[in-house]
Amino acid sequence: MSTFILPVGPQHPALKEPTSFRFMVDGETVVDADLRLGYNHRGIEKGCEERTYIQDLYLLERVCGICSNVHMTVFAQGVEKLMGIEPPKRGLFIRCLMGELERVHSHLLWLGVAGHEVGFDTFFMYTWRDREIVEDILEMISGNRVNYGMQTFGGVRRDLDEMQIKKALDGIAALKARTPYYLNIGASEPTLVARIAGVGVLPKAKALELNAAGPTTRASGVDFDVRKDDPYAGFGEHIPFNIVTDEGGDVLARVVVRAKELMESYNICEYILKNLPAGDIRVKAPRKVPEGEVVSRAEAQRGECIHYIRSNGTDKPDRVKVRAPTLANWPATLYMLRGGYVADIPIVMAAIDPCLSCTDRMAIITDPKGNEKVWNWETLRQYGIDFYRKRGIKL
Amino acid sequence: MSLRLGAMLPEVLKHLFKKPATVQYPFEKIGVPKGFRGRPVMDPNLCIGCQMCVKDCPSEALEIHKESEATDEAGKVSKKFSMTFYLDRCSHCAQCAEICPKKAIHMNSEFEDAAFDRGALKIVYK
Ligand code: SF4
Ligand code: SF4
Repeated sequence: MSTFILPVGPQHPALKEPTSFRFMVDGETVVDADLRLGYNHRGIEKGCEERTYIQDLYLLERVCGICSNVHMTVFAQGVEKLMGIEPPKRGLFIRCLMGELERVHSHLLWLGVAGHEVGFDTFFMYTWRDREIVEDILEMISGNRVNYGMQTFGGVRRDLDEMQIKKALDGIAALKARTPYYLNIGASEPTLVARIAGVGVLPKAKALELNAAGPTTRASGVDFDVRKDDPYAGFGEHIPFNIVTDEGGDVLARVVVRAKELMESYNICEYILKNLPAGDIRVKAPRKVPEGEVVSRAEAQRGECIHYIRSNGTDKPDRVKVRAPTLANWPATLYMLRGGYVADIPIVMAAIDPCLSCTDRMAIITDPKGNEKVWNWETLRQYGIDFYRKRGIKL
Repeated sequence: MSLRLGAMLPEVLKHLFKKPATVQYPFEKIGVPKGFRGRPVMDPNLCIGCQMCVKDCPSEALEIHKESEATDEAGKVSKKFSMTFYLDRCSHCAQCAEICPKKAIHMNSEFEDAAFDRGALKIVYK
C-alpha cells in the first residue's frame, strides 16, 4: 500500500476560515486525518481581562457571528450567578426566544451550506431565501440582523410589543409551513440522499467516547441537550419541546436532525410568544462583581457552549475561558473522515457546522529549542499594529 | 418514463413564474424597522458630561469634551459638552444610548455608512 500526505489549508478554497489538515490518502481513500488549529486566534479571552464586564458582553458576542446570542447568554447568566441576581421571568423567556430564533437562522443557513457543498445550489437558494424571514424577525426585535445585542446582566435589553409578537408569529408560521418540504428534500431527494447517506459515519459509542456535541452527537443517537439536561433561562420554566435524535450517525442523519430541530424551535418560539409572562424584562445589575468563579453553559445551535468566568471583586473579570461547540466536535470529525473518500471531505466537515474563529483560543509559540512564549494583551496588540504598519496600512 | 423526477422539480418549475426574491439595491431599498440600531446621535443640549457613554463603549468610539463653562447671575454654573464619535470604530451595540442618564444619545436609522475617506467617519456633535 502506498500512501501520501495531502495537505489542506491553512488557506484553501473549500474552507472559508483558516485551519490546517493533513490527510494520509491511499488513492481516493482517506487513511488518516490530522488537524492543526490556531490560525484564527484573535485574543478575545485576553481582551476580556482588560475590559469591563459590560464591554466584555459585546466582545464575547463577537466570538462568532452565527452563535453570537448564545455567547452573550452564557456569559450573562454566568456573571448573574456571580452577582447573585436573577432576571425576571419575562426576561428569561425573551432570552430563550432569541436563542431559538438564532438556532432557526443558523440551521437554515447550515441546510443551505450543506446543499452547496454537495453541488445542490437550488436547495441553498431556497433555504437562504426563507432564512430572510427569521432574519427580519431578529432585526425587528433587536434592531440588528447579526449580533443582536439582546442579553445583558439581569435580563434582556429590549421588550416585545403586541405588534412585534404578531409579526413574529406570522413569520414563524410561514417557516413552519415551509420546513417539512426541506425535510422531504433532505431525506428523500434521490440524488441528495445518494450523496450523503452512509457518508461520515459516527457510531453512538464513538460519539460518546469522543465527546461530540449538539446535532452531531444527537444524529448518532445520543439524546444530550443542555436545554433539557441542565435547563437554563426559561427552559427551567418547563417550555415544552422534544430532543431530536436519529440513529443513522451519517451526514443524512445530521440533515434530518437539524430539519426536525427547526420544527421544535418553531414550537418553542410559538409557545414563548403566546405565553410571555407579564412584568419587567430586567433587574438592575451592579457594576462590580464579587470574587468568585462560575461555569455557565447553554445549548448553542452547534452544541454545548461553555464559559468559565473568574471574578476578583473589580469591574473586570480575572479570567474568561470559552469552549465553543466546534472544538468538541473536531476529534469526532477526524474519526468520521477516516476511511471515507477525498471527495467527501468538504461535506463531512460541513456536517458538524464548524466555526473556526469560535474554536481558536490561544497560541503558545514554541521555538525549536523548546522555549515557550506567552504574550500578554499589550504585546499582542502591538504585534498586530506593527504587522499592518509594516505592510503599509495606515492605522 | 424511466427517469425518476426529483422531489425538487415541481418546486423549481413553479419558481419560473415567481417574482425575484431580491430587490435592485441601490435603486430599490427595503428600509429598516423601527428600533434599528444605526449610528448614535448625541444632543449636546442634554449632555451633563458624566462620561458614562465613554466608559461603557466597548469600541472606544466616543470622546466627550468640555466646550464651555459659564456662571449666571445666580451663581449657577452651566457647562457645555461636545462628543467626538468615530463611526469607523462603532459596533452599533447601542450601549451608549442605553447607559446615558440624560437620554442624550439615540440610534438613528442610517445604514449606508461606508466612506472612501476615514476622516469622513469622524463626527463631532456640538
Ligand atoms: S453604539 Fe456601541 S460601539 Fe457605537 S459608540 Fe455607542 S457604545 Fe460605542
Ligand atoms: S452618558 Fe450622556 S450625559 Fe453622560 S457624557 Fe455621555 S452623552 Fe453626556
